[in-house]
Formats: sequence, structure tokens, C-alpha cells
Amino acid sequence: MIQYAAIILFVFGIYGLLTNRNIIKMIISLNIMEVGLFIFIISIGFSYDGIAPIITSASGSGLIYVDPLPQALVLTAIVIGVGTTALALAIAKSIHNKYNTFNLDEMEEEL
Amino acid sequence: MSPILLVAVPLLAAFLSILSKKLAPYLLLAVGVFNLVILFFIPLGFEIIGGFNQPLGINLLLDTYSKIALILINVLIIVIAFLNIGKYNKFSSILLLAMGGLNGLVLTNDLFNLFVFLEISGIAAYLITSSNKKPVKTFHYLILGAVGSSLFLFGVVILYSMFGTLNMVDMIQKIQITNNYKELILPFTLMFIGLGVEAKLLPFNSWVKGVLGKSNTLSGPMIGGVYAAAIGFVLGRYINNLFMFEGNLLIVVIALLALGILVGEAMAFSSTKVREILLFSSIAQASIVALLFVNGIVLWAVYYIVAAALSKTVLFLVINKATKEVGSDEISKLKGLFSNNLVVGVAFTLVTLSVMGLPLLVGFVVKLNFLTELAVNNQIWLIILILVASVVEGIYFVRMLVKLWYPEDNVISVKYNLSFKVVFVVIALILLTFGTYTAPLKNYDNTIDTIQEVVDNG
Repeated sequence: MIQYAAIILFVFGIYGLLTNRNIIKMIISLNIMEVGLFIFIISIGFSYDGIAPIITSASGSGLIYVDPLPQALVLTAIVIGVGTTALALAIAKSIHNKYNTFNLDEMEEEL
Repeated sequence: MSPILLVAVPLLAAFLSILSKKLAPYLLLAVGVFNLVILFFIPLGFEIIGGFNQPLGINLLLDTYSKIALILINVLIIVIAFLNIGKYNKFSSILLLAMGGLNGLVLTNDLFNLFVFLEISGIAAYLITSSNKKPVKTFHYLILGAVGSSLFLFGVVILYSMFGTLNMVDMIQKIQITNNYKELILPFTLMFIGLGVEAKLLPFNSWVKGVLGKSNTLSGPMIGGVYAAAIGFVLGRYINNLFMFEGNLLIVVIALLALGILVGEAMAFSSTKVREILLFSSIAQASIVALLFVNGIVLWAVYYIVAAALSKTVLFLVINKATKEVGSDEISKLKGLFSNNLVVGVAFTLVTLSVMGLPLLVGFVVKLNFLTELAVNNQIWLIILILVASVVEGIYFVRMLVKLWYPEDNVISVKYNLSFKVVFVVIALILLTFGTYTAPLKNYDNTIDTIQEVVDNG
């Protein structure tokens, strides 16, 4: 079920990217899309009765663990996403310095 | 010696180079030379990282295929960095980042690791294109690149949920056991789109015109030469081993690639700007490379990538330098560019003729051999398509060359440094040498990519 929510978020992000002409809103849409992807990745390793994947002396053999690998992947992907967002914002700043607007339509009029 | 040094040393140097901006360009050259030297001491085979054996840990694969890619990438980055010393010094750290990312890209045998390197080299590419001083175009590239790599990750995660592994060899083995291709169409399509954005394949390449059409002596050869080659090698590895398109998906992919060739050549034909001609011809070349890999022609696709990378480096360097001094890249404004620059003109002409595929040059040998292999595979339509594309390519390149040689009454003088001339002449001579002396090219065969062999033998 949670995977449907993730895919809907992903599609919302792409819709935002396609319809928005404001650079900041496009960056936010990119982030919404990435969050959808991250939730999808987490949902791959999730199981309802699973416990945290930490092996202790008390834990018996019949327990179900949550798959830790997707969580590790998401950590890396989040860091990369933050890097890309930071770079996008830096480029947005230089666009604003040059054209005094965040709106792509207004920029094209000036070009 | 371990291949991980090829990734780790540039990344470490990228960090250190921030501390001293004056030393950064020299550090970049030193690391590039270091990479090239140790490349000859690293034994071929898998490198297990962190003591986790396959398929648990991340591992790198150095075979002849990735070795050719690594030599090409590192040599070209050194050459481009050397030619741009003084003008783009502050980009040294970024070029180091690009070097680490691209080396990792061609070495890694892990799908998620490939996504990470795709993003690292992508971030370096966005920063390199920011030297064009066209931030809106860079932003457009960043958005498309980020969406592309997200789609690639989406595909990788779906594959992980199906097979429980991220190791490429292990995944291919598991796919062969289950042998249910219909379920794999979605992840393969997503991954292909993700790689297609960076590889400039139609219809995911709308960023190319904005980036390469306004490029300079750094961003032009880096994005049009080095990045195109590295992504070409990665795309080849994946098409050849993992994707193995079948049925309707194969038809769709071949139709898209064929369309990419036709549209690329047609756009180049109708363009009046030299940089646009070069970038549209690159789009057509990227589609040809992918088409060759889809047909299982590995060796000649690899040579095609190498020849295209060397040629595009020279072409973009010559034109971008001239454009900067003249102030326009319209062919009519660059008329007579070579009448005062004989050496550059001859080298440029040789390289262009090689791209067109004229005899005595390496482009001809490569085209002849892959067309022969396509004929063996009974792909008559593809041969006709590539021949038609070559004719169109010939027309617009000859038209461009004639105008660049004859000044009429247009007097322009562009000064090329000695270092530029040496690079152009050496690359032109390499293309000429391997065009006439083809024996070394035939030392290898399609098995230079060893993944299939590893999959079969376990």
C-alpha cells in the first residue's frame, strides 16, 4: 500500500517539474519526486512484523528482520539529493543575479 | 596495486586541492599521470572491497574493456586540463571530482554504486557547464540529469526487490535462471532512460543544445568528448550484458536509436552554426554506438567511441577557441579560419574526414568493420540507414570545411598556442596511423567485455 503512496508522490514531483516555470518551485518538485523515490526504496525492505535488524544475544531464530540494505541505500541517496539540491539552489541564485527573476518565462523575454 | 586507487586518489586530491588554489591545476595533472602509470601495474580481474566477497560487497571489475575506457578518460582529462591551465584554474577541483566519478563509473560492478558515481560525475558535469556562463541552460541540464538518475535508481531498486542483489554478475545469473523477460521490461526501460539522458540519446537529450551550443574550450571537449565516451562505455556494458533487449522492447529501442541517428544528422545538416553541427553529429554518433551494442558488436563500438572522443575533443577545441576570439560560431563569420592557421586546418580536416569515414583514416576502418558485422547479422536496413547518415554527414562536413578554408573577403585571425597545435597534430596522426596500420586493432575481439564469461563460468 505504501508503495502506491510513494509512486503518487513521485508522479506529483514529475508533474510539478513539467508544469512549473518558477525555478524554486521546480527545485521543490524535484525534491518531492526524490522523497517519493526514497519512500519506495524503504518500502522494499519493510515487513509488518519485522524488527530492527540488530542481532543480540536475546534474539531468537524465528524472528523476522527488516531488510537493512534499502535503508543504507536511502541514506546515500538522501545525501546525494541534498548535494544536487544545494547545487541547484546555487545555480538559481546566479540566475537571479543575472535576470532578477526566478520565472523562466520572464527570462525568455529578456533573452 | 588496487583499482580503487583510481577513484580514491582523485577524490582525495579534489578535497586537498581546495586548500591551495595555486597548486590545484598541477595536482590535477599529477593525479592524472599517477592514474595512467598505476593503470599498467594493476592486474586485470575483480577487486573485492572491504573483505566482503561477491555478491555481498561492492566490487570493481578491471578488464580490457574498462582499461581502454580508463586510459581514454584519464588521457583526455590530462590533455584538456593542460590546455586550459591559466584560464580555468578554479575548475581543477571539479575536474578531479569528474576524474574520480568517471573512473568509478566504468570500473564498478555494483548497480547502486553506479548510481552514486553517475551522480558524482553528474554534479561535476553541471559545474563544468557553469563555465559557459549560461546558468539557465546549466539548470535545465541539472534538472534533466537529476530526473534521469532518479529513474535509473528506480529501475535498480525494482530489480533489487525482484532478485535481492545489486551485484551485476550475480543479477545476470539470477535473471538467466528465472528467465521471465516480461517482468523485467519496466526496470530495464527506467534504467535505459536514466542512462540515455547522460548518453544524449533521443528523446532525452534536450539539454545538449543549450550546453554544447554555448560551450568553451573546457566544457566542450569535456562534455562532448570525455563524458560522452565514459557514458558510452557504461551504456555498452549494460546493453551488452544486463538489458539484452527482446521482443517489442527491442523494436522500440532500435526505432528510437534509428530515429536518433536520422534526426541528429538532419539537424546538423540544417544548422548554420559550427558548434551546433558538432553537437548534433555527436547525438547521431551516440545513437550509432548504442545501436552497435544492441546488435552485439562490442569491439568496433569501443573503437568507434574512442575515435569519436578523440575527434570531438579536437573539433570542439578548435571551434570553441575560434568562437571565443571571433565572437560568433556562425560558419559565415568563421570563413577563412584556416587560411592563416595551416597546421590547425590540416589537423582539423583530417579529424573531420575521419569522423565522416574516409579511407586511410581510422573512422573508415571502424565503419567498414561494423557494417560488415551488421551484414553478417542480416541487418540490411540498419546498414542502409547508417550509409545514408554517412552521406548526409559527408555533405555538411565538406560544406563546412570548404567555408572554413576559403576566406573570400572575410579576414579573421585566431592565434592557437603551440600546446594546442601539438595536441591537434598528435591526435590527427593517431587517427591516420591506425587508419593505415590496422593490425593492432584486430588483436582483440568481442570478448574484451568479460562479464558474460564470468557469468558463464561462475
